[in-house]
Amino acid sequence: MALGVLPSPACPPAPRGSPYRWMQVASQCQLLQSSSGRPSAPQLPQLPDEPVLLQDAPGGLFQLPPGDPFPERVTVAWLSVVALAFALVCDPQENLSLAEITLRRLAPRLLASLRLLGPGADVLLRPETIDVLLDRFLPHGQMLFLNELFLQAVDREMGIKASR
Amino acid sequence: MFTAAAESFLKQAREIQEEELRRFASRVATVLQGPEPGPEAADCLQRLHLSVAASKYPRRLDGKFVDLLQAVLCSPKSPEQIQLLCAAILREMSPCNDLTLSCDEIRDTKLLSLVSSVLLAQGNKKAEVSAVGQRIVKVLERRLPEGQSARYLLPVLSNVIRLSPESLTEASPWGSDLLHLLSQPGPVTEVDGAIATDFFTVLSVGQYYTEDQWLNVQAFSMLRNWLLCYGAKGLKPPNSDDKMGMDRSVMSVVSTTSTAGRLLPPKDRLREKAFEYCQRLIEQSNRRPLKKDDGDLQKACLIEAVTIMDIICKQDSSYVYRSVSFLKILHSRISGDATYARALLPIAQFFLNHGKTAAVDSDAIYKHLFTDIPAQLFHNPSLAFEFVQFCKDNTQLFTETSSIFRQSFPNLFKFLAWNSPPLISEFVDLLPFLLDASTAIEIFHLLLDLPCLTAALDVQLRSTALPTSERACDPAVKPTTCLEAFRHPQYKSMFQYLLRTKSAPEEAPQRLIPLRQLLGSLSSSPRVVQCAETVPVLLELFFRVVAEFADARLINQLVVLLLQRSDQLYEIPAFKDDVYRVLSSQLVMLCKLRPALVVELSTEILEFSGTVGNIQNKEAIFSHLVWAVGEYLSVSYDKRCTVEQISRFFETLEAMLFEITQLRPLASTPSYAPRAISVLMATLTKLAARSQDLIPRVSMFLSKMRTFVQNPAVTSVYSEEDLEEILIRATELMNLLKMPSVAQFVFTPPVDVGSTRFQREVNETLPFALRIVTRLLEPAPSFMPG
Repeated sequence: MALGVLPSPACPPAPRGSPYRWMQVASQCQLLQSSSGRPSAPQLPQLPDEPVLLQDAPGGLFQLPPGDPFPERVTVAWLSVVALAFALVCDPQENLSLAEITLRRLAPRLLASLRLLGPGADVLLRPETIDVLLDRFLPHGQMLFLNELFLQAVDREMGIKASR
Repeated sequence: MFTAAAESFLKQAREIQEEELRRFASRVATVLQGPEPGPEAADCLQRLHLSVAASKYPRRLDGKFVDLLQAVLCSPKSPEQIQLLCAAILREMSPCNDLTLSCDEIRDTKLLSLVSSVLLAQGNKKAEVSAVGQRIVKVLERRLPEGQSARYLLPVLSNVIRLSPESLTEASPWGSDLLHLLSQPGPVTEVDGAIATDFFTVLSVGQYYTEDQWLNVQAFSMLRNWLLCYGAKGLKPPNSDDKMGMDRSVMSVVSTTSTAGRLLPPKDRLREKAFEYCQRLIEQSNRRPLKKDDGDLQKACLIEAVTIMDIICKQDSSYVYRSVSFLKILHSRISGDATYARALLPIAQFFLNHGKTAAVDSDAIYKHLFTDIPAQLFHNPSLAFEFVQFCKDNTQLFTETSSIFRQSFPNLFKFLAWNSPPLISEFVDLLPFLLDASTAIEIFHLLLDLPCLTAALDVQLRSTALPTSERACDPAVKPTTCLEAFRHPQYKSMFQYLLRTKSAPEEAPQRLIPLRQLLGSLSSSPRVVQCAETVPVLLELFFRVVAEFADARLINQLVVLLLQRSDQLYEIPAFKDDVYRVLSSQLVMLCKLRPALVVELSTEILEFSGTVGNIQNKEAIFSHLVWAVGEYLSVSYDKRCTVEQISRFFETLEAMLFEITQLRPLASTPSYAPRAISVLMATLTKLAARSQDLIPRVSMFLSKMRTFVQNPAVTSVYSEEDLEEILIRATELMNLLKMPSVAQFVFTPPVDVGSTRFQREVNETLPFALRIVTRLLEPAPSFMPG
């Protein structure tokens, strides 16, 4: 399961190369999948550009204690789409509803712009594409209260057609 | 994990050597310094970025190259993609000592934002945060040139105050700009399509958004942080005198009317405006949105608005009176709507923080929150998480025994039962606050029945989902499925007890026995199994906490219940084994804490240790119990320990040892845990050492062990190592009994000696002691005393 981790500025960066945080999200996701009786390896859509349904995508919240791996206690909002997981690391006092909304907006746009479900390696080789998206939806780590029409305006600006 | 192509790129990037990287970097430098950096430059930079980012250890690039990257980043001629890539590489290398980047001369706001992202990643060793903050404020204060947008700068400011609030002490005028941004008019609509008649907010809907409306969105998004930083610091506005302090009472009267906003200092005006904005948002959240996803945003806005109001009231208590009635109305509006449940938490927090100030009775709010919400919405994982966080943030609520919060703990455990993996660590933090002398017993039972609770919740959910027509139930017919049993009179009250919303200490969990059996059909469901895995951790914590406050009566109660409940556990084999393991070690802990209980509870202990089935089914508990008897049944621990007591135990345990070691020529020999045999022998020896007329009996028994271990029927069911151990142990014990006074000392130490490390670990060091004694009796030529 591949992973993208988006830190909010409230959290200083985790130590380099700490695989532990990846495992946390992966195991939370697998445990949630198994508890709900869903198959653990959902089928990939036939075509990489097929719109991915996010309404039923599993997600959740959990906390990491201080020092493990971030210096301060953090709350992680995660979302799993097909075989990928996305995690947004927040300060425990932040608006977690907004964090979940932000993730659900970022995920399909990242999926589409980076063709994450396809065979390529864009996720590794196009950091500037990721930065452009983050700059719109999570500028300097700031979550935004964007309603649907604002969202469309943002998409228009970026010239992308995001799957819903 | 990745696709094959991605895996190979990653591998290459991680394995690239220093020298190769340097050469690559100089090639990139050449390309960048060419006439117009194009696709080849972008490609190189992308690969370079991957090399720097992918490695576990920081990669160092040449100082000159860093200079080049900085120059390309800041050059107006560089295409945007190239700039982004340079910034990304510089960020990956942070903190970077060779960085000379500065935002002082940059006028383009987009570039300023990008450069700030690099500077803010440096770890603030050279006060970069403050430098960035002040530059941003300076740019924002002046009129921005044509084509430049402030949109790129507000988020940077938000980041700056989060990282280092002090950096903006010089910048107080900016509060009023924020105020201005929050006050946009606009010919726009509401989310439900109605024409808006009031000022613009994040829940206003427009077609083409103006710059100011964008900034409005950003300003609200950072408002909470701004208030926490700006509002609490006691910043004085530029023209303040000490009048500020004296006139505070006047000011607070003025602010309640909210018409004199113009007269207030910027900080207070901002608070007033923020308050109005939040009130408007709350009103707007009442509208039914045309676009479904806006409904989610409405709820997030609601939560934010209530939280901000709470902060405002903390900073200026004059707002409390205005807020209280408003929020009470909000509460009644949303309390029946499950989709708004998460918003009930900040509302409750508000009343917890300010209800006393306003002399308002908020009990109905807390009651609804703790009684209804967990029962109805335990299956919502985000709500479950936030609810438990709310409890952790307000643990002082649980200290009052009679409070609604404390009484609702059975409800709280439903969150854990259903959502075990993310919540187990939260409950480890929360459990100590729920435990005291009045709740300990009930919580003990609840923990042991936690997986049953999961199963029951599953049945409840499925039953609720059934159409009413299918819910009918014939009381005469015995139910065959859990779903049928849910409404059947025979089981209904059991379900109700298990699913209770309030503490019920007087109820007897024995009544759940039939229900536990019935729910056995769900015992392999993944959710139930996940929950079962959390129980051992919580049980250990339970005992650790209880040991700190338990009195004699509670300790005794727990031991009795522990033995009773060992028969009444949900049938999941791995679960039962884990629980036995924990219970047996905790049993020993309780006996150590209060050795007298062995005498006081002799009836129950005799009954348990005298049942052969317990050696088969619950060996761990049996063995530890028998060990505890050997250890603590002594007049040195309790004066009431009579010779008759010791004899009674002796006889029971002797009969047990006889039962499990007797050789039946015709029937096949069952095998018992070798540990049980060993501990029985050791305990009988210890008891004999204290009541010496029992010694001949034990010695004779021990001498028969040789016959036992050599018997072919026995060697076929026990392993050779185990039988050897048993024989060695029997021999050592016999030898010890040949020196009764030594035996007495070893096995019945005076109580103060009993606290030395040696004695505490007798369970492990006894064999060692026995070997020493054996050697004393049969010295080998090489044996050296001492």
